[in-house]
Amino acid sequence: MVLEKLDKRFGATHALKAVDLSFEEGEIHAIVGENGAGKSTLIKLLTAVFRRTSGEVYWRGKSVPLASPHESIGLGINAVHQEVVLCPHLTVAANIFLGDEEMRGGLLNHGRMVRDAQKLLDDLGFVLPAEVLLSSLTIGQQQLIATARAERRGAKFLIFDEPTAYLTRQEAAALFKLIRRLKAEGVTIVYISHRLEEVFELCDRVSVLRDGALVATRKVSETNEAELIALMINRTIDQIYHKDVVKIGETILETDKLSGPGFRDVSIRVREGEIVGLYGLIGAGRSEFVQSVFGRHRATSGRIIWQGKDVSIRSERQAMNLGIALSPESRRDQGLCLQLGVGLNINLPIYKRLSLGPLIHHGREGAAADKQIHDVQIKTSSRAALASSLSGGNQQKVVIGKWLNHGAKLFIFDEPTVGVDVGTKAEIYRLLGSLLAAGAGVIMVSSYLPEVYELADTLHVFRAGRLVATHGHKDASQETILTEAIGV
Amino acid sequence: MLLGLTLLGLLFVMWLALSVETRTFWTANNMSNLLRQGSMIAILAIGETFAIITGGIDLSVGAIAGFVSMVVALLLTNDLGFASTIFGAVVISLGVGVFIGLFHAFGVVQMGLPPFIMTLATMYSLRGIGLLITNGATISITNNSFTGFSRASFLGFPWTDGTWFEIPMLFWMVIVVAIPAYVLLNHSRWGRYLFAIGSNKEAARLSGVNVGAITYMAYVVSAFCAAIVGILLAMRIGIGNPTQADGWELQAIASSVIGGTSLFGALGTVHGPLIGSFILTTINNGANLLNLNPFWQRIITGLLIIVVVYFDTLRTRKR
Repeated sequence: MVLEKLDKRFGATHALKAVDLSFEEGEIHAIVGENGAGKSTLIKLLTAVFRRTSGEVYWRGKSVPLASPHESIGLGINAVHQEVVLCPHLTVAANIFLGDEEMRGGLLNHGRMVRDAQKLLDDLGFVLPAEVLLSSLTIGQQQLIATARAERRGAKFLIFDEPTAYLTRQEAAALFKLIRRLKAEGVTIVYISHRLEEVFELCDRVSVLRDGALVATRKVSETNEAELIALMINRTIDQIYHKDVVKIGETILETDKLSGPGFRDVSIRVREGEIVGLYGLIGAGRSEFVQSVFGRHRATSGRIIWQGKDVSIRSERQAMNLGIALSPESRRDQGLCLQLGVGLNINLPIYKRLSLGPLIHHGREGAAADKQIHDVQIKTSSRAALASSLSGGNQQKVVIGKWLNHGAKLFIFDEPTVGVDVGTKAEIYRLLGSLLAAGAGVIMVSSYLPEVYELADTLHVFRAGRLVATHGHKDASQETILTEAIGV
Repeated sequence: MLLGLTLLGLLFVMWLALSVETRTFWTANNMSNLLRQGSMIAILAIGETFAIITGGIDLSVGAIAGFVSMVVALLLTNDLGFASTIFGAVVISLGVGVFIGLFHAFGVVQMGLPPFIMTLATMYSLRGIGLLITNGATISITNNSFTGFSRASFLGFPWTDGTWFEIPMLFWMVIVVAIPAYVLLNHSRWGRYLFAIGSNKEAARLSGVNVGAITYMAYVVSAFCAAIVGILLAMRIGIGNPTQADGWELQAIASSVIGGTSLFGALGTVHGPLIGSFILTTINNGANLLNLNPFWQRIITGLLIIVVVYFDTLRTRKR
């Protein structure tokens, strides 16, 4: 397969920039890059989940449109995702044959499917029964089933998206064995992973993506981890990371050896006027940690000290009453009421202040919304326009902007700039700056290293649920920090 | 607003057509009868809309109305002092409604049951409890000043044919319910929170909305409206019987949906279900006057639901 100037834009966001890449028969080709570098966009173009904006894809020398998932599966292009997309309530055999069942006289031929599925599993060397329910298997085993399913479909081109993220060592070893076997059969494998050691163990070539562009393709035997990390990090520091000097004041929040679901022994401190960055790979425990501080999950041990006093935060309402605000990671799922007006979304946290008793003061309501739309520069036709009509960046400005009037003391922003373009990013950073100037503290959870690197006064690195390193403002190189997060 | 005007237009077109087709439709007598018939479903539909806006549903409103008709009849036909005065009986009956609403919300909020299941369960049980209490018998209400209210009217004006049109008390009750419901939904912050919960419960919670309390409010309002209807029903037919108001929950839901309420939540008004319920009543009333086989009424209602909701889907899809 050859990609020529493959390009994808989402509105103003340029997700993939004229990528030229070729995949050879029977090679294992790794694709690495930071979160948001364009890896998932690339996969989704190849599996035809998205359509490309421009560029060509050649499959065995012929240009193919890749207009529908059906077409790409027909060509033999399959993807095995990090989260298994199979039916947990069906048997292993039923899942392997899903959408392509073996029939006899118009009815399902259960016996034959179970037998064939079992034979397939045995051939692949998996010690798994074909007639059990998929949900009774571990995630790793399900991943193997998903791979077996792709194999049976006659996959010629198989994409693995972070397949080992949830696997144990043994499960990963079984998967590697299968991947090598597929390679021997002439299947082209695209392997996406954050774990560089896997790239060196398994792959033939590696391509590095950064900010949507292909930076380099190397033979694995001719490169090393340090070079790859250097390639992954964007060295061009844009004007977008504007940071005013703010006087650091009193301590607002302190955690002392806080443990909870997904993280252990985390001690941090946030002061007035300070941005505390929490960096790590997805699943490193950062989100879980801030959610415990926000009262979503009870911490199991350790202390939370709020403005000098020991507190136990049991609910989100309690956290909000203390003066903590959280802007969630997923704006569509957790941040916005999409079917409702922009004004209502902005005012939601402060309606108490816009009411006389229970009744809303419509004048104040409108004025508050208009002021915020103006201050945060949300591009909308009016405050009554539905939140769903805004662009992603403007939606994010609503999610963040609604807290500015709230008067909270500590703001937690979980991935505040995911999926927004550079211009909006700069505006969001400016908003953070105005919160700091007002004497608030900010915890910024981010998987995008340049952002926390440039903005955070204190940067904590998380790995596998633990705080593994702490840095002052830019006192270590990005390479060092990424290395700490990946743990090579 | 656009949908409201369209529906009002539809209602007037139906009235116009029926006035042309029949002599008996556009008379003071029939029109005040139509208002009487539509009033109870209208009140149920307004309450139901609160539950639907949160993304839930209340299937028990018909059963509550039947159950409360029995409660009020029982109180009035026994000698229990204050509880057997009209005022006392009405207050206690409304209290029963509030209690049922609290129970629904308890199931939905504390036990985490889907609203559909929770209210389906009480829909069955309430009728059962009522039958158990009355042993299947109907309680006749002898208190004439109680039953007289349903026939009474207040204010009137000369009709087009010179006769006198009187606005029935039952319709005034719709106004009495609709105005506070409108204020609650559109002019109080709790109304804003209802919509926010219906649109995105998680976002509402993360914005400091007490989702539990607002859900309680929605189900209490719905059951409270149903209790009002139960009392009006007992007045109108002069009996208390827990099997009354059978299927009214579906009429209430239909009225609400025709009136533009989205079953996915976050979309609804007070005037919508009000107009919707009178559209349904006009279909029934008109079909009677046209001597249409009564079975057609159900078919027409079904088709109307499909057409109205389809057009609404087209409208929202464009967004």
